[in-house]
Amino acid sequence: MLCSGRLLAVSYPPNPPRPNSCHFWSSRIRHVNPKLSSRWRSRASDPDSSSSSSSFATSIDSDTTDKNAAGFCIIEGPETVQDFVKMELQEIQDNIRSRRNKIFLHMEEVRRLRIQQRIKSAELGILKDEQESELPNFPSFIPFLPPLSSENLKLYYASCFSLIAGIIIFGGLLAPTLELKLGLGGTSYEDFIRSMYLPMQLSQVDPIVASFSGGAVGVISALMVVEINNVKQQEHKRCKYCLGTGYLACARCSSTGALVLTEPVSTVNGGDQPLSPPKTERCSNCSGSGKVMCPTCLCTGMAMASEHDPRIDPFD
Amino acid sequence: MSAVLLWVVCPVENAQPLLSLVPRNGRRGRSCKLSSTGVSAACSSAVAHPSRSSEERVYEVVLKQAALVREQRGERALDLKKPIESDDMADWNLLNEAYQRCGEVCAEYAKTFYLGTLLMTPERRRAVWAIYVWCRRTDELVDGPNASHITPKALERWDKRLNDLFQGRPYDMFDAALSDTVAKYPVDIQPFKDMIEGMRLDLRKSRYENFDELYLYCYYVAGTVGLMSVPVMGIAPESKASTETVYNAALALGIANQLTNILRDVGEDARRGRIYLPQEELARAGLSDDDIFRGKVTDKWRNFMKGQIKRARKFFDEAEKGVGELNSASRWPVWASLLLYRQILDAIEANDYNNFTKRAYVGKAKKLVSLPVAYGRALMGASDLAKLVVR
Repeated sequence: MLCSGRLLAVSYPPNPPRPNSCHFWSSRIRHVNPKLSSRWRSRASDPDSSSSSSSFATSIDSDTTDKNAAGFCIIEGPETVQDFVKMELQEIQDNIRSRRNKIFLHMEEVRRLRIQQRIKSAELGILKDEQESELPNFPSFIPFLPPLSSENLKLYYASCFSLIAGIIIFGGLLAPTLELKLGLGGTSYEDFIRSMYLPMQLSQVDPIVASFSGGAVGVISALMVVEINNVKQQEHKRCKYCLGTGYLACARCSSTGALVLTEPVSTVNGGDQPLSPPKTERCSNCSGSGKVMCPTCLCTGMAMASEHDPRIDPFD
Repeated sequence: MSAVLLWVVCPVENAQPLLSLVPRNGRRGRSCKLSSTGVSAACSSAVAHPSRSSEERVYEVVLKQAALVREQRGERALDLKKPIESDDMADWNLLNEAYQRCGEVCAEYAKTFYLGTLLMTPERRRAVWAIYVWCRRTDELVDGPNASHITPKALERWDKRLNDLFQGRPYDMFDAALSDTVAKYPVDIQPFKDMIEGMRLDLRKSRYENFDELYLYCYYVAGTVGLMSVPVMGIAPESKASTETVYNAALALGIANQLTNILRDVGEDARRGRIYLPQEELARAGLSDDDIFRGKVTDKWRNFMKGQIKRARKFFDEAEKGVGELNSASRWPVWASLLLYRQILDAIEANDYNNFTKRAYVGKAKKLVSLPVAYGRALMGASDLAKLVVR
C-alpha cells in the first residue's frame, strides 16, 4: 500500500523535528523513544497502524509545546480543515483508524496511572476528597425529592408501599365506614355534581370506570413530570452555544456549504441569451459542510464549566 | 451601559484606590503619575509609554471613540460605510436564529443581566446580546475550561476573526450576529481589540503592583464594554453634554462594575491563585498575599476594604453623571444595572467585609425594588439630576 509505505519510510529513522507543514503526520517526526515505540508496536494489531502509531506516539508523548508547534489551535481558521487535504481516501481511513487506536491505548494508560496515583497517595497519607468506595448518588427524576442511593432505595420502597396501602385502606375501609361521601359536609355524589353545576351524566359514571380513569390520569401525568425533568437535566449538560450539536452554522455560506460566485455578465455580445445559473464554489470557511467547530465545547457538545464551577475536561 | 455585561464576563478584580477620573474640563491633578502628555492616538492597547499613566492612555482612547462616533454619524447619513447586505431569506433566517441563540446564551449565563435587557427596546436588546456573547466567548478563551489549550496563536486567530466580522465577513453564526450589530450601530472595533489585549494580559499577570496597572486591566475587560455599548444605547438628541462626557461616564461604570466584581470575589480568585488587589496598597495597609490566602477577616482587612469600597463608589458616582444623557429608552436598564451593582458593595459591608468565604449577594426582593427606583431616576433627565446634585 503506497500510503503505508510512505508512513514506514518516515517513521523508522529518527528524524530531526521538521517545521510545521500542511502534512500533519509528516511534521510529527521526533526522536523516537525506543522503549515506548516498541510497546506501541507490540500492541498494535496490524503493521500499518503500528508504524504510524509509533511515529505519532512519540509526538503525543511530548508536552504541550509540541502540541502547539504541531498546529493545534482551539480557534479554527478558514484554513485549518485543509490540513489533510493532500491525503488520499485510504490514507485518511488508515489515519483515522490508527488515531482511534491510540486514543484507546491512551485512555487505558490514564486509567492505570490513576490507579497508581491513588495507591501512592494513599501510601503517603494524602486524603482524597471524594470517597469513591461508596455507591454514587443518583439525582431523582421527580422534582423536590432527595437523591437516590442503594440504602435510600429501601426507604423509598417502604414509603411508597405504605402510601399505597394507606390510600387503599382509606378508600376501601375507612371512608365507607365513616360514611364519608364525596364532597364536603356529607353530600352524595349526585348532590355534589349538582352543586358544581356540572352535567348530570357525570353522576351516573360507573365507579370502576371512574377509578380507572382517575388512576390512569394520575399515572400518565406522573410519568410526564418525570420525563420533563429528565429532559431538563439532559439539556443542562448540553453546550449552550451549539445546543449539543458541537457545531455552529457557518456564516460565510449561511450553512449551505456553497458560495455563489458573482461575476459580472456583459450584455454587449451575449445580450440575447438567457442568464446561466450562477456558478457556486465550495465555501472555504467550512469546506462545504456548512458548519464550523464550536470553540466553547470543542465539538464535544457538552456544557463546559464556567469559571465559577471548575469541572475537569470532558475527556475524563 | 454595558455595566451589566460585566457581571458574567469579567472575573473578579481587585479594588484599587480611586484616582480621580480625568474629565474633559481638565480637572487633572490628583494623579501622582501625571507626566507630560503627548497627543498620540492610543492605537493599540499595548503599553507604549510607561511614563504616562493608564488613565491618560485610556482617556485618549475615549476621546478617539467619541470622535469616531461623531464622524460615523455623518457618514451614516451618506450610508457610505454600510456593508452590502443581501436580502437572502437564508441569511435573514440565520441571523434571526443567531440573535435568538445569543439571547438564550445570555439568559443561561447571566440571568439578572438578561432580565435587564428585557427593559430595552427589541433592537437594542438583540444588539446587546450579540455583544455579550462575543465578550463571553472571548473571556472563556482564557478563563473557561479550554484555557489550558489557549495559545497566542489562538488569540491571534480570534483577533483575525474579529477583523473579518467588522468587515462583513463573519465566521460563524455568533460572529454573524455581532457583524450585523456593528453594521447597524456605530460601534468601533478598538474596544473589542482592547478586550482581546486584556485577555492576553490576564494570561500573563496574576498580580498587580499598583492601581495604575489595575486601572488598565479594568479598562481592558470592563471599560471597553462600556465603550462598546454607548453607541447601542444611544445618546439623547436633546442632551447638551459632550460625547466625551458620556463615554467617560460609561467607562467609569465599567470600571466601577469591575472593581465591584473584584471586591466581591477576593476569596474565589485567591483560590485560583490570583490577587487583583494592588500589591502596593496591600503593603500600605499592612497586608500580604498570605493574609489573603489565609482568608481571615482582621481589622486591618476591614480598614483596607473600606477604602477600596469607597473608591469603587466614587466610580459609580462618576458614572451616574452620564446616564441621564443617554437615549430615554435606554436610561431605565442602565440605571437598574447601576443601582443593582452598587448594592453588591452594600452586601459586602453587610457581610462584615468577609469576601473570602461569603458571597455578597443581593436578594431578589432588593433587586425588584431597585426596578421602580431606577425607573424613577430614568424619568428625570440630566438637567434635573444636576439640580439635585448641586443641592
